[in-house]
Amino acid sequence: MRNVAIIGVGYTPVFVSKRKDVNIAEMIGESVDAAFRNTNLTPDDIDAVTFGNMQTFEGLNLPHLWSSEHFRAIDKPTIRISTGGTTGMSTLHAAYYYVASGLYDVVMAVTWEKQSEGDSQVGLSGIVLPEAMVMVQHGMDLFGGKGMGGMGGGSTGAAAYQAMSYLHHSGAEPEHIDKMAALERSNAALNPYAHLRKKTTVADIQATPMTTYPLRFGHTCPTSDGATTCIVCSEEKAAELADTAAWITGLASCTSDPTTANFIEGQITDPAEQEPAKIASKKAYAMAGIDDPKTQIDMCEMYNGFAHQSLMWLEKLGVCDEGEAHKLLDAGELNIDGRLPTNASGGVFSTNAIGASAMNRPTECALQIMRKIEGGHQIPKPIHNALAHGWGGMFQYVTVMIISDSPRRQ
Amino acid sequence: MVERKIAIVAQAQIHSKDMPVPRERMLFELVKGLFDSVGITRHDIDTFVLCSNDFSAGRTISNVFEDTPVGAYMKDETKVEADGVMAATYATARLLSGLYDTALVVGNSLGASQFRPYLVMDYELNPVYDRQLGLINELSAGALQAKAYMDEYGLTDSQLDKIAARLLANAAKNPESINDDAGATPEDVAASEYLYEPLRRLHCYPFTDGACALLLAAGDKARELTDKPVWIRGVGDSLDTYYIGERNLARSRSTKLAAERAYKMAGISDPAGNIDVAEVSAKFAAQEPIICEELGLFPEGSGGEVADKGSAAIGAAMPVCPSGGALGSYAFCSAGLVRIAECYKQLTGAAGDTQVAGASTAVAHGQDGFCLQHNAVMVVSSEEG
Amino acid sequence: MAAQDRIVVDNAVVPLDFTYNYRVGQSMEKFIKGLGDKKILGVKCSGCSKVVVPPRQFCGTCNRVMDEWVEVGPGGTVELYTVGHVTVEKGLVEVADAPSVLALIKLDGATGLLAGEVEGVEPSGVKNGMRVRAVFKEPAEDSLNDLDHFEPAG
Repeated sequence: MRNVAIIGVGYTPVFVSKRKDVNIAEMIGESVDAAFRNTNLTPDDIDAVTFGNMQTFEGLNLPHLWSSEHFRAIDKPTIRISTGGTTGMSTLHAAYYYVASGLYDVVMAVTWEKQSEGDSQVGLSGIVLPEAMVMVQHGMDLFGGKGMGGMGGGSTGAAAYQAMSYLHHSGAEPEHIDKMAALERSNAALNPYAHLRKKTTVADIQATPMTTYPLRFGHTCPTSDGATTCIVCSEEKAAELADTAAWITGLASCTSDPTTANFIEGQITDPAEQEPAKIASKKAYAMAGIDDPKTQIDMCEMYNGFAHQSLMWLEKLGVCDEGEAHKLLDAGELNIDGRLPTNASGGVFSTNAIGASAMNRPTECALQIMRKIEGGHQIPKPIHNALAHGWGGMFQYVTVMIISDSPRRQ
Repeated sequence: MVERKIAIVAQAQIHSKDMPVPRERMLFELVKGLFDSVGITRHDIDTFVLCSNDFSAGRTISNVFEDTPVGAYMKDETKVEADGVMAATYATARLLSGLYDTALVVGNSLGASQFRPYLVMDYELNPVYDRQLGLINELSAGALQAKAYMDEYGLTDSQLDKIAARLLANAAKNPESINDDAGATPEDVAASEYLYEPLRRLHCYPFTDGACALLLAAGDKARELTDKPVWIRGVGDSLDTYYIGERNLARSRSTKLAAERAYKMAGISDPAGNIDVAEVSAKFAAQEPIICEELGLFPEGSGGEVADKGSAAIGAAMPVCPSGGALGSYAFCSAGLVRIAECYKQLTGAAGDTQVAGASTAVAHGQDGFCLQHNAVMVVSSEEG
Repeated sequence: MAAQDRIVVDNAVVPLDFTYNYRVGQSMEKFIKGLGDKKILGVKCSGCSKVVVPPRQFCGTCNRVMDEWVEVGPGGTVELYTVGHVTVEKGLVEVADAPSVLALIKLDGATGLLAGEVEGVEPSGVKNGMRVRAVFKEPAEDSLNDLDHFEPAG
């Protein structure tokens, strides 16, 4: 199996609520420019492009068609990937497979979102809009008690249910969610590419209003405008083109049934169970030759739309035992200078250009390994194996990547 | 260098003018039927590549409710949002990587009963210009491209009608076709109303509800699953500029580059000589000569002569779209997979009344965008190579 | 308990009507302002010398930003055209009240063609190569609609 390296990353100069100064195509182009600047490569070096975002957020169908010049894809093989919240990582997976297949040697993955130009609620509710509309048309009050109960309170409601279930099973307290939130926001304060960059204490988080117990406003991710580009290549090309590289040694994806509400297909999966995370992570570890993730994973970047999820994913992805994550948090092990730095970037919880969010996880891991982090969130200890995680859909999609400091040997 | 051999081992397709069941049921029955015909279950599939479009489905993350019906529950799965040939190409790459031995590719959309294809295309327009002005739509763009080819190479209206009629006659022989106008004569085509000149109603693809599934497998696994594997010998795609005012609409550079890449991989230096049958996605009849010429199947500008001489007919030297092509049925996302599926049927002798005798190497084509902006090509053969 | 009426839903119509607000970007902003001044602005790539209209930031062929602004037109030549007998509105096709002419026009000074409607001439009188001239809205709206249509020029 061909080894695949990450040799470069480019971010838009900022990730913010509204980029008023550029249109969609121009914004995407900024991240591609940054990737070329950071690697000294040009479009001539790129054999193919993978491209992803959640297009209903912008109301623009197949946006790679209109913006083809701006992301330097003219005359290039190009593919569009779109898998909801996991899009960013699915798009990087596609780039990986294109190189691993031997079809191409250098592939660029471009992911982005410009949510300020659309309506995020529309984008999100669109997943179940037909079902919801039928209910409304037949007299069901979706916003009254029965309706809300049936819907599980929408995505925030489902997350709250997930958080409650997680707290119950793990023994963690709501204060641990506050603590994780404060840790990640303070990490983000050191990251020039993060969106919410204010140094935050537990008291700051606890001062924010409750949305649905146990989740507060301060536990919730933002929506951001931004783009991320990542260049991957074969081992031979990495030696030729780059002074340093990070290596994709494991990857996997898994999907379960769509969660969020009992009114669809009568599903009964506990959204805190996250079986796909367990299945995908096991496959990825096996591929990477990692027998004991609890000792061999040096850092994690998890897809956490809500602060409790960082703790939950650590357990579901096998990096610590069930019920242990909050203890690691209390012991300071999840801090940037700890044993298992988690979301040193601030995570999705601090920056969420949704099409890019799941790719920012592996790009942050790669930059950490290559010691090319800009800003103050470089993890001091050496990193041999990093875990990057993506999540989305209706709580059921999981993607995983293991990024390492050396290629997997056959 | 590519070492593994990847084959198509089974196909299933379904088309309707008005699908009587919801999308999820349609997918379940299609894929379950495919599995049963091969004698496998969903547990024999290592990876799933879905192909659908959020706008067409009217759902964000259109694959969320497609996964369970196609058998992807607790399995590895992803979604391509583009024409089906690209999804098949991606599945091929996944198998070539060595990480998987079997892949299921499933594309679908409901463009007849659920949503308007021309509006799905409108959403692809430049949002800060073309979409505001409302001048360019799929029909007006298709007409401009037809006129460009006619202006450049002298193709006449009656020759264009012959191309459409040939496709519709083929569609009449294909049980998968849903076009009510299948079997139309050139005179019928000529009598159909102008939309934007020279585009007539019977030159256009029919709105279709449809889905298509392909089962791909690597090497020994492919031979285990079928005694007639159809090997994927070459893949290639390319993207042009969006701006139709900056392209020569009488040609399609991206189709040419896509074909070059696929032929190179397949070791084909003489497409007109080596290709026995072609299935191309010409959404409007006038796109067919452009695509075929860029695929190297006919000389540049020869569309009129090909139409007059019948050189693209089923029994002729270079049969194109014996299935009826996009004029028989065309569902966004599924369409390119149907072209590959039809090639598969040709090469396994399963094409019924549309069979090209002795076909052993075929080329399939799919597209996205206005006036052939993004094109993908796949070369398949009953010979392993 | 009495049997209850059941609603069997076999078809649901879900009307969707969303508003998206797009940043047009700096190139398009300048273009729109130009139209308000009855000027058609294009942008030139210093790499390949092509002049495109409407303007945009990037030349994909040369991999460079196009920042040389050029006034083009208001006269131009019809390079390609189609006579429309239908309208397509939100994906629905309807017979048009009268035929229309949609042309791709090479404005004087531009290399890329601009789409525009040609009015003031019978469709049968339109030919490739014919000269046309831009007609601006009066008074100006400072929008894309300020370039209203094209008409035959001597």
